[in-house]
Amino acid sequence: MVPLNFYLALSAVLFTIGVVGVIIKRNAIQMFMCIELMLNAVNLTFVTFSSYFGDVTGQLFVFIVMTVAAAEAAVGLGIIIAIFRNRESLDVDEASILKL
Amino acid sequence: MIPASLVLFILFGGLAVGCAVAMVTQRNPLYSAISLVGVFVALACLYLTLAAPFIAAVQVIVYAGAIMVLVVFVIMLLNVDEEVRRPLRLQYLIPVGVGLAAVLVAEAAFMLTLGAGTDPTVMPSGPGTGDVGSTTSIGTGLFTEYLLPFEVTSVLILMALVGAITLARRASDAGRLSPEDFAAGPRLATAPAAPGIIQPGHTDITGQAMAEYQIATGEAAAPSPGKPRDEEGL
Repeated sequence: MVPLNFYLALSAVLFTIGVVGVIIKRNAIQMFMCIELMLNAVNLTFVTFSSYFGDVTGQLFVFIVMTVAAAEAAVGLGIIIAIFRNRESLDVDEASILKL
Repeated sequence: MIPASLVLFILFGGLAVGCAVAMVTQRNPLYSAISLVGVFVALACLYLTLAAPFIAAVQVIVYAGAIMVLVVFVIMLLNVDEEVRRPLRLQYLIPVGVGLAAVLVAEAAFMLTLGAGTDPTVMPSGPGTGDVGSTTSIGTGLFTEYLLPFEVTSVLILMALVGAITLARRASDAGRLSPEDFAAGPRLATAPAAPGIIQPGHTDITGQAMAEYQIATGEAAAPSPGKPRDEEGL
């Protein structure tokens, strides 16, 4: 059997890659995808604990996290489209001033 | 002999990490998106090894299907360029970052060594064999004990829907209705047009006929004040 720690370590690695991506990426869509990766890393932790401890609650919250991620995708992409319309660019460095 | 579950974990875990690294290092957003689909599929396979088939299916359908299609659609729609390489700003922060990362790693190592003496009986050795991951148990939990989060989620989706439409709508919408249009109620064609405004194909006769048709079919929700419904209909 795979030890519990292996899954947790994998989740931590994926989360860290997501954090690094958000920090080093300049494209808004790629930052958005890194956030999705972080959400998935947390989901892996939820499912691991749910499965190892025999409690369904973790998987229910994975379900809810997925719903929130879908809502976040809709709103986030709407914001990205709005930024692109105003600036003709998705570079977040160019959008660092909070005015148009 | 390596157990099969460990082989599967290493295979799909390695796939997930490799795709994640490829996603971050890739400069073309489209390649990033495809790498992210790889991460999602690898995670779905890991969920299967954890005896959670329902979550695995939802992962593929919702994440790899719906969300990534949306992302790829936006990438195509905006015709995003590749990221340009630029000199790093704030060069002096690099040694500071390295120092802080070293502190974080030391802290994590300290905490992990603290937990080395954990009672092994507390930690389960493998995934449970019950029906924890089945659709039945998830549905039962979702509609009994966790009904309130479920309902709150539906409100959240509604808000996201309205917000996305509001954000993505063009600001200078020519056909947009002003609040006065809604305050005046449904616009009946019999309403006397302001003098001087002539619309093509919009005469009094056709307007009257249109109003009669609307009232007869029940489309008009509220007739204009001063004109009772039966007078207009007859």
